[in-house]
Amino acid sequence: MGTSDLDRQIEQLKRCEPLTEAEVKALCLKAMEILVEESNVQRVDAPVTICGDIHGQFYDMKELFKVGGDCPKTNYLFLGDFVDRGFYSVETFLLLLALKVRYPDRITLIRGNHESRQITQVYGFYDECLRKYGSVNVWRYCTDIFDYLSLSALIENKIFSVHGGLSPNITTLDQIRVIDRKQEVPHDGAMCDLLWSDPEDAVDGWGLSPRGAGFLFGGNVVSSFNHTNNIDYICRAHQLVMEGFKWMFNNKIVTVWSAPNYCYRCGNVAAILELDENLNKQFRVFEAAPHESRGVPSKRPAPDYFL
Amino acid sequence: MGEEQGPRRKEAGPDDALHTSMQRVKVYRLTDDGKWDDQGTGHVTIDYVEGSREIALTVVDEEDSDTLLIHHITSDDIYRKQEETIISWRDPEKARELALSFQEAAGCSYIWESVCTVQRNLQFNVLDVQEASPPAAFESLEASRNPPFHDESLSSTNRELKKLPPLDLSSLSSILKTILECSMTERMRVSVAELILQYHDFFPQLVNLFRTCESSGNMNALHMIFRLVKGIILLNSSAIFDKIFSDDFILEIIGALEYDPEAHNVQNHRSYLKEHVVFKEAIPIKNASVVSKIHQTYRIGYIKDVILPRVLDDATMASIAAIVHANNAVVVCLLKDDASFVKELFSKMRSSNISAESKCELGLFLLEFCTLSKSLQAVQQLRLARDLASEGVFDIMSDVLQSQDKVLVSAGTDILVYFLDQDPNLLRSYIARQENSQEGNSLLGLLVQGMVTDFGEAMHCQFLEILKILMDGFATNTPTHYRGVIDVFHEKHLDKLVDVIALASSPMDITQSTSSPVGIGARVDRSAKTEILSNICELLCFCVVHHPYKIKVNFLRSNSMEKILTLTRRREKVLVVAAVRFMRTVIARNDELLSHVIKFNLLKPIIEVFVDNGDRYNMLHSGVLELLEYIRKENLNSLVIHVIESFWDQLVRFEKLGSIQAFKLKYQQLMESGETTQSTSVVDMRNKTEERGLDKEEEDYFNKGSDEEDSAKQTTCVQKQSLDKLAKGSDIHQLPARRSDSADKQGSQPPASSTKSSVGNGDVGEEDPATLCLGLLFVLLALLGKALGLAAPAAVGSADRTVKCWDLETFELIGSSGPENSREYFVPNEVVWL
Repeated sequence: MGTSDLDRQIEQLKRCEPLTEAEVKALCLKAMEILVEESNVQRVDAPVTICGDIHGQFYDMKELFKVGGDCPKTNYLFLGDFVDRGFYSVETFLLLLALKVRYPDRITLIRGNHESRQITQVYGFYDECLRKYGSVNVWRYCTDIFDYLSLSALIENKIFSVHGGLSPNITTLDQIRVIDRKQEVPHDGAMCDLLWSDPEDAVDGWGLSPRGAGFLFGGNVVSSFNHTNNIDYICRAHQLVMEGFKWMFNNKIVTVWSAPNYCYRCGNVAAILELDENLNKQFRVFEAAPHESRGVPSKRPAPDYFL
Repeated sequence: MGEEQGPRRKEAGPDDALHTSMQRVKVYRLTDDGKWDDQGTGHVTIDYVEGSREIALTVVDEEDSDTLLIHHITSDDIYRKQEETIISWRDPEKARELALSFQEAAGCSYIWESVCTVQRNLQFNVLDVQEASPPAAFESLEASRNPPFHDESLSSTNRELKKLPPLDLSSLSSILKTILECSMTERMRVSVAELILQYHDFFPQLVNLFRTCESSGNMNALHMIFRLVKGIILLNSSAIFDKIFSDDFILEIIGALEYDPEAHNVQNHRSYLKEHVVFKEAIPIKNASVVSKIHQTYRIGYIKDVILPRVLDDATMASIAAIVHANNAVVVCLLKDDASFVKELFSKMRSSNISAESKCELGLFLLEFCTLSKSLQAVQQLRLARDLASEGVFDIMSDVLQSQDKVLVSAGTDILVYFLDQDPNLLRSYIARQENSQEGNSLLGLLVQGMVTDFGEAMHCQFLEILKILMDGFATNTPTHYRGVIDVFHEKHLDKLVDVIALASSPMDITQSTSSPVGIGARVDRSAKTEILSNICELLCFCVVHHPYKIKVNFLRSNSMEKILTLTRRREKVLVVAAVRFMRTVIARNDELLSHVIKFNLLKPIIEVFVDNGDRYNMLHSGVLELLEYIRKENLNSLVIHVIESFWDQLVRFEKLGSIQAFKLKYQQLMESGETTQSTSVVDMRNKTEERGLDKEEEDYFNKGSDEEDSAKQTTCVQKQSLDKLAKGSDIHQLPARRSDSADKQGSQPPASSTKSSVGNGDVGEEDPATLCLGLLFVLLALLGKALGLAAPAAVGSADRTVKCWDLETFELIGSSGPENSREYFVPNEVVWL
């Protein structure tokens, strides 16, 4: 697969036209080679733009790129949850993956709790693949790739980025090093917590999460984690915030949410966090793509049918 | 209140009193000093503001009939329902906090629902029909308008909705307005649907009007018709669906939906359905009603998934999905009950004188038939699967798998997966019988061959998936056939797969020293593709977990493990990482293979690739560190000693890593505590690396035991270790009691195993009271996990998972603003593991 092929595929995906099954397979194998070399705490240089959940809202992600600039011109870090719920999980994830393969050093993708075989079978990605391709092979390729996605990122040694939050099993970043991440997101343990936990004002220390996986953690946990690891703050996604971003615990943790009008009905705005080379912060808030630019959902069933 | 309502319903007086009490509210306003100030008591209504098209919530004082409050309902998300009887919001116009406290919860829910509906309609902008309608029609519309939220609307909804005028161009906008306005509450929707249905000519008139407008190009009217049809669909009435989805109307209905006023261009749904979509008849279907159902189902699905997915609310989406589901069931039922149909299909598939192309079509047809049968009830599904099996579907599949057509082979694998989903024993017993009778091409052999065949871009891991389900060791209720399949696999095929790896890795000494016969494997491609090797490695890991006894026999008697570990020499890092995972899986069994690993120095290639990888922090680095961490934490002391004594020279350069330090420390502690006896024997053993004979103890081992005993022993062992750990409490931070460290052991296994093994733990508990306690703890943990998972009962277990999820979401998201409403729930063990 040459660069020109890849560029053509990127252009095609930018028009929200999915790739063929064979192209997906080739792309995934290529991505696997790149991702296997990444660390569980992937190092990222500033300047970088951090994005939260996308959830298959392809046209809203195009708004995101309009606001944040195109890849590779802008260096991106996506905090997971690329798929499920929206109408275009396939196109969304494949575009990000194609960009990753084309510009491995200019875009970092880490894993969210929806990058999982189990969750995608319930929340839409599985059904979307089945409907768009008539078989679940594309879902198989993509979920295999999910197992290779990194678990977190560290920007200039100062900002720890993760999809969900902290884990009681992890006090130092070095403890993340010894996770063998090539597996389905487990039901508990450090890897699960990183993808599932939430910060919570009302909790002191650790609390049970109503989600049934991961934990709730309080401000004191964040303070001591940040202090121990000598970081300024934690940047995470995973929770809808109506204003697109939300600081907690005295600016020690920030939630960034990048799916405007989540599920096409929540009425929220979205945000991305731009960090310049000196780590100065600028949140850019954006709204959902206007209706006209969305076109007809390409959920067309396979044109041939027997029954 | 409920029991009072029934008998008195017909009398006007008490009914009014009832609804008066339902509307009775106290109005509160938040004062500047943060107190809720009582503004008075009155009756609340939601209605149009006089002379305006805005809808407002009004409270009229019950004593002096003054207006206590008038608030224009906005689409902004400012309303909150608290507890059962309070609705509060911040009025953006007047910048103040207001609250209504209802006398009755029912009244509160009613007003809350109405506010939500008005908001939804504001968002969808459906009320805004005037721009397109001429002034004359606007007047007639005003005249016929029924105020939807007048006081009486609480008690009698359709008193004023007596009849609709005949539908033509002049009445179109007024009818549209009526229907849209009446769609605001569930009760109004029901009555307006009844009204439409009473009026027999409604749909013929609608279709005629549409045709006329389309031929005259009257876009204004076409846009109104679009809204009307959309509004009618959103009434969510099954009787109306029956009408509009019938052959008489469905194409025109789809035609009307081409004129979306919000879309830039007119959509071309009808021409797509007529020209691009192909209905393939692999086997002629004689029953005309079946054919018509098939077309109808496709078109309804098209409306649901292509035309209106953004517009449909969850309830309507669910109703339409249910229609599709029911239709599928009818079609499959009619076809399967037609005995000649299945016979004809199968005899065609067996026939040798049909073209490759039609053979492929037949295969795809059978796949679709199987897929749609998932709409049947579970019992019927199972019966169908059995019937098809006894009609010889597996013979046909053997044939299909040998086809040159990759598409057909792929369909064949999907069909086999379908049967395994229904009842894996159907295929297991077929294979067991086939192996015994030695007839024809062994299906198991074909499946194994499929795993090592390069299908180019067509195939991925279907064969791996099938073999895993066939040989799932946790399926304990299947003694005979299941054993048969596993025995045959280990006897005939395992070595072949191992040799594919050995041959594909660099041709150095190990492959030459092979002692096992190569057999069929000799034909395999030396340059096997990455994905094939990685699939084989995954299957081997699966066997280590599920057939520990069988695989141990093989590994102890041959050099299979060394061959598998040649994967570490592959250039592709993905395969090197897979080899590390294989070693990790073997070590996690914690059985005799540990001494085998030491004896033949099998960790050497692992440590070497780790060292060669240097300081690069990648998946290989983490994988090996995790392996070492596991050895240390699980107190696999012989391995700790072996690793340090054999490889410390190489590992020393990583001394600054916490896990390497801890590993070394563990070794030193072992040395200090005098547990050195083992280490000498280890060194002795290492000296005998060249020998291939079996030790006495290993020989003894082969003469007894089986995988069942083995698993039981394993479980007990794991429990005891966990117990030790629990007692020490060493690794655990202050955690809520939900989790024990021992659960980590299941981390790399499919989740389905976790409940099963937890339940199993109860059985072995009799050995020792402490273990019993732990067993109970496990069960409790499993139950707790279930309870937490149950937070989303609507999300799973239904035939149409997506729709149900959205249900869950609606429930979660109505009136949401904060993170607490955006949660998903993790549902362990609910979904089939693929």
